[in-house]
Amino acid sequence: MDLSSGERFPDLDLPDHTGRPRKLSEIAGGDPLVLVTSRGWWCPKEGRYLRELTRLQDEFEVAYTRIAAVSVDPPEVQAAFRAGLGARFIFLSDAERRWLGQLGLEETTDTSHRPYRPAVFTLFPDLTIHAAYNGYWFWGRATMEELRQDMRAISRAIRTDWEVPQ
Amino acid sequence: MNVVFDGERLSADPHSEGRRLRIDPRCLAGEPVAGAYAHVCASADREAKLRFDEPEVQQVRRDALEYWITLLGEDLVCLTTCALDASLYAGAITVTRTPERFGDDPFARLFPGTVVETGLFSEVPPPPGPVIERYAGVPWPGGCF
Repeated sequence: MDLSSGERFPDLDLPDHTGRPRKLSEIAGGDPLVLVTSRGWWCPKEGRYLRELTRLQDEFEVAYTRIAAVSVDPPEVQAAFRAGLGARFIFLSDAERRWLGQLGLEETTDTSHRPYRPAVFTLFPDLTIHAAYNGYWFWGRATMEELRQDMRAISRAIRTDWEVPQ
Repeated sequence: MNVVFDGERLSADPHSEGRRLRIDPRCLAGEPVAGAYAHVCASADREAKLRFDEPEVQQVRRDALEYWITLLGEDLVCLTTCALDASLYAGAITVTRTPERFGDDPFARLFPGTVVETGLFSEVPPPPGPVIERYAGVPWPGGCF
């Protein structure tokens, strides 16, 4: 599956951290979206990155932009991890690995956990990919400043009143 | 979309006695869930109001996203804040299938809660977060651009 800029990200249907079925398009809800695929709660790099994203949520909460994280952790584990982070964004559980293979995001070097390879996608509301970041190495992930810049670019493109109406 | 609250009962009839509260319209749009419970953290007193943008009103929305919705899990039917107009907050209503968790309702910090048995409300997916702002004045978490 081609997950590069300009392609449409699939409308994932997965349970959230409460076990409730969700669709990615419903989570975007007409707003730009940051989608993070994450190894899981046990990886220190994931903890570090998601703590950073949790800090950034203070800007997202007033900026009509959304965040979602996907991992193979079961919902109850995600709920505990999310609570520990203090995150107010949604976690999606692909514990059954329904989407992992289809997306081509399996971390093939970890055969014991079979987790998602860390990646970050910034998406338009219709799930068109604005930018894709390969986070296999920590420094490959989008920095918080890059996420701000991507959210600005998408918002500028979709908000018809970006230039203040005269 | 309004409900009317008289301090004990909720009604969707605009002619009933009580205070009119604007809610997320999706909460009344679908198939109603029979035998549900509403925790109405609002007052029938017309003077009981706060600005939506006061820090304490922002914070209860954060708390709803951080733990309240997670705590309720599949018990949750819907959740809405109550608006008087584009800027004034008059409370919140959380609707669930059982009333056991209402003691943890963060919205009760602002206006005390009343438990009301109800068949008015329909199931609405809870907000995914982290947005706490309102969309064009619609009571949070409703609306979109």
